[in-house]
Amino acid sequence: MKENILIIGGGAAGMEAATQLQKMGLTPIIVEKSENLGGHIAQWDRLFPAFHPAKDVVDQMLSQVKDIKTYLNTEVADIQKDNDGFHAVLSNNEKIDAKAVILATGFDIFKAERKQEYGYGIYNNVMTSVELEKFFRTGKDERINNPKKIGFVHCVGARDVKVCNTYCSKVCCTTALKQACEIKEVFPDAEVYTFYMDLRMFGPGYEDLYLKTQKDFDVKCVRGRVCEVSENMDGKLVIKAEDTLFGKPLKMTLDVLILMCAMEKNKSIDTIQQKLGIADNSDGFMQNKDMYLGMNGTAQDGVFVAGACTAPKSLPDTIGEARSVATQVFNYINNK
Amino acid sequence: MNSQIFHPFVLPFVLGMAFVLTYCFVGLFKVILQLPKDDRRQFLRSLVTPKTAWANIRDLFGDCLFHVKIWKRNPLLGYMHSAIAFGWFMIIVIGHVMLFTLKPLEGVEVEGFARTFTNFYYPIFFKYFAEETPVFAFLMDFFLLMIISGILIAVAKKIHSKIVGVKRVTKFGFADNMIRFALWTIFPFRLIAEKTNIMAFWWLYSFDLLIFMFMLPFTRYMHIPTEALFILMRHAGLNAREPRKGYALAQLYSCPSCGLCIDACPMSVNDKMSGNTSAYFMKKLRNKDSEEAKRIAETCLMCGKCVMICPVSIESCDIKFSQRAAVPYEIHSDHSYLDVISTEAERSGEISSTKPKTLYFAGCMTQLTPKIMRAMQQIMESAGEEYDFLDKDGGICCGRPMLLSGKVAEAQAMIAKNTELIKKSGATKLVLSCPICYKVFKDEYHLEGVEIQHHTQYINELVKNGKLKVKKADVNYVYHDPCELGRAYGVYDEPREAIENVGNLLKAKSEKELSICCGGSLGSFNLTQKERDEITSNSVADLMFNNPDEIVTACPLCLKTFARKSPVPVKDIAELFVVHQA
Ligand SMILES: Cc1cc2nc3c(=O)[nH]c(=O)nc-3n(C[C@H](O)[C@H](O)[C@H](O)COP(=O)(O)OP(=O)(O)OC[C@H]3O[C@@H](n4cnc5c(N)ncnc54)[C@H](O)[C@@H]3O)c2cc1C
Ligand code: SF4
Ligand code: SF4
Ligand code: SF4
Ligand code: SF4
Repeated sequence: MKENILIIGGGAAGMEAATQLQKMGLTPIIVEKSENLGGHIAQWDRLFPAFHPAKDVVDQMLSQVKDIKTYLNTEVADIQKDNDGFHAVLSNNEKIDAKAVILATGFDIFKAERKQEYGYGIYNNVMTSVELEKFFRTGKDERINNPKKIGFVHCVGARDVKVCNTYCSKVCCTTALKQACEIKEVFPDAEVYTFYMDLRMFGPGYEDLYLKTQKDFDVKCVRGRVCEVSENMDGKLVIKAEDTLFGKPLKMTLDVLILMCAMEKNKSIDTIQQKLGIADNSDGFMQNKDMYLGMNGTAQDGVFVAGACTAPKSLPDTIGEARSVATQVFNYINNK
Repeated sequence: MNSQIFHPFVLPFVLGMAFVLTYCFVGLFKVILQLPKDDRRQFLRSLVTPKTAWANIRDLFGDCLFHVKIWKRNPLLGYMHSAIAFGWFMIIVIGHVMLFTLKPLEGVEVEGFARTFTNFYYPIFFKYFAEETPVFAFLMDFFLLMIISGILIAVAKKIHSKIVGVKRVTKFGFADNMIRFALWTIFPFRLIAEKTNIMAFWWLYSFDLLIFMFMLPFTRYMHIPTEALFILMRHAGLNAREPRKGYALAQLYSCPSCGLCIDACPMSVNDKMSGNTSAYFMKKLRNKDSEEAKRIAETCLMCGKCVMICPVSIESCDIKFSQRAAVPYEIHSDHSYLDVISTEAERSGEISSTKPKTLYFAGCMTQLTPKIMRAMQQIMESAGEEYDFLDKDGGICCGRPMLLSGKVAEAQAMIAKNTELIKKSGATKLVLSCPICYKVFKDEYHLEGVEIQHHTQYINELVKNGKLKVKKADVNYVYHDPCELGRAYGVYDEPREAIENVGNLLKAKSEKELSICCGGSLGSFNLTQKERDEITSNSVADLMFNNPDEIVTACPLCLKTFARKSPVPVKDIAELFVVHQA
């Protein structure tokens, strides 16, 4: 018997969950808001820690979901639950009935303008990690003109009460080091600095990446938070920070500054989430049932979560959750 | 009429009165002796200076008896207070007038001490001992009823404070409730005693007076005698220097815990935080609960709204500062960098003292909001101003944070260096973007020959004298009065005038003097981010009252604070004058 499972969000989490559910004999249906599947990883050039092309991963996943019913440029406009399960109305007015729902709506990038002291949108040569990924993919960005000195600022919009985000965004430390190596590959003569609070190299091979960054790429990692950025007469950026290892204030002139923007909860799902009776946790992400055995469950029976919608996550974390959510949904359907 | 001249029921009153008079006189001397020498001289001199003496008389009547300030805020409460205070005052006066005009003691054999003693209680129990004339009898009844009408309002307020338009009232302990009950019953007992002459009521009346006067020094009602002293000291221009001494002590006892500052305080967004308001600070400090007083002094945002609305004009923020200064906070600061700092112009050796120059000091808060700095630079360029930055690459702090934490010597070191830099630059005008800096430059710096302006005033002036050309757009703005610019300096009109040149200005729900702190104030040491957020949301809602398209502020800190919670864009006033240039 084929049962419909509604998956909202067609990023890594949504696609992988759909793939697994289909193999289990259920009928996943993906509703994706943007014009293509893939989510954020489709925007990245190469993935840490192995510098593997993101496109390979995305293409592989796309090939697995090609037979799965997918709505692009579509959102869920309304959803209701009764004894038969869930009844959703899509933004194209189509109706879908489903036995279970998976929320896989992922994250949004912190808007760097909110941290005005870093000058994004004010000074020309301040850019975000996302824009740098685009540069690596396309080789084009007006702001990058054979730079001699480049800086990376960690924790932009994360671990910062002043912007109301106290959590760690998990992947930006590793991303910063990955990007630092990559920019060094493009501009071998440039000096590259990263300004961090702590380096959170949490995964397999990540610490090796850190060593490689310093040994092979001569990237200078400075422990200290950048406190403010200004622009001098020549349009160069002047940053102030404190080197907390030396206990000294530091001032430096840079050509380009990259802000490692944090992941924030994707709020476009908020109304549907409320209709389903699912709250946010203290970090503003979706609240799952619990952090251990119930990580894929929610306060609403039949509604499941996977991927970066519940907390900042790396791609392997996300894939792992997507596979586990498929098992959970399978059990939920069969125990009924 | 009872032809006696004495009855034992007067004794409770006499006892109470003797106690309270002794207490007050001892207290009076204590407070005056606690004043630092200079202050004491200044105070005594003010008593005989015609100008202050006149102000004293005016306010003693206006404030203590007629409660003019409460009338202005809340007529019903105003009536309640003046009915009780003025009514009581009048029956005491009339009692004495009767004693000296009707001369009921004439021919009675009392001399010397006994005479004085009799005069002491006679007017209070006049009706029992002597006959009134009809006119006096009418006056006495009139004022007695006036007091009772005031008390009825007080009872209603106690039962349901919203009747008199008050949301939150101060919570009281046993002593305060007990004395209040005594106060409420004194006059009804007296009325009944006078009308029925039942002995029990004369006793009750007298005992009530005893309770009232005996408890007076230990409760908020001590404000009745103290306020008079406080008014004299305030007019002498004194400053609170130590939290529980001298002028501050007089203020502590002058606060009747009326609670008006509770509703006014931005922290009163929830019940828990409303315990941090001035009413409680004064009460805790008065009751020597120094832990709580210290905590509240460190929690307060120092926005000054409670001081602005206080009907007694208690300078609670000053007392909080003196409380902070009394605590030796561990701040280890190293100011050796002061020696090597110079202005941009100084470094490039192009100081000219001939041309009138404008010096712009962004301050550290504005350094963190580069949009404002940029906008100011563009404005000064477009207006063709001859200007220089005092702190382009980061300068010296104005000194305010150190002052806020009571570190005067550290602050003075920075003030001296900044003064030197400004004087050397030869500028005739100093423009500041941060109201916090503005306050310090106004109050603590001595910059003769240099006009100090906040950028709202400066921009308004540039537009007015045609140097800066702008065009009006159809955008609805609402303006937030930063605490340190508005309440502290009354800069309300210039920013509004300026904004009307570039857009439509809507009103906020609470404006000008009553504007609500953004919640980001550096004044507080220990409000949590969550508590601050609540204050901010409340303040934003107040600004959004008329649905503006954008919120305009004139303080880098307000800007950052509001930006986190506002549903519409938040801009500094300077940004408007870049967007709308003609
Ligand atoms: C700069 C950066 C670099 C990174 N680099 C790496 C790396 O090298 N290696 C690594 O392991 N991880 C990396 N990550 C982490 C990785 O991007 C995430 O783990 C992954 O994208 C999470 O996938 P997701 O499907 O949960 O969310 P997303 O990728 O955010 O996908 C969510 C999908 O849901 C859709 N959606 C959202 N809302 C709705 C809605 N209301 N209705 C319908 N559809 C909706 C979105 O359009 C999107 O397609 C990086 C992250 C960042 C920020
Ligand atoms: S992963 Fe690193 S950069 Fe990102 S928030 Fe955590 S500590 Fe900061
Ligand atoms: S400080 Fe002023 S407003 Fe506040 S309770 Fe005392 S008298 Fe009332
Ligand atoms: S200064 Fe402001 S925050 Fe402090 S008690 Fe007064 S009104 Fe409240
Ligand atoms: S008042 Fe504030 S903004 Fe101004 S210089 Fe001092 S600390 Fe900086």
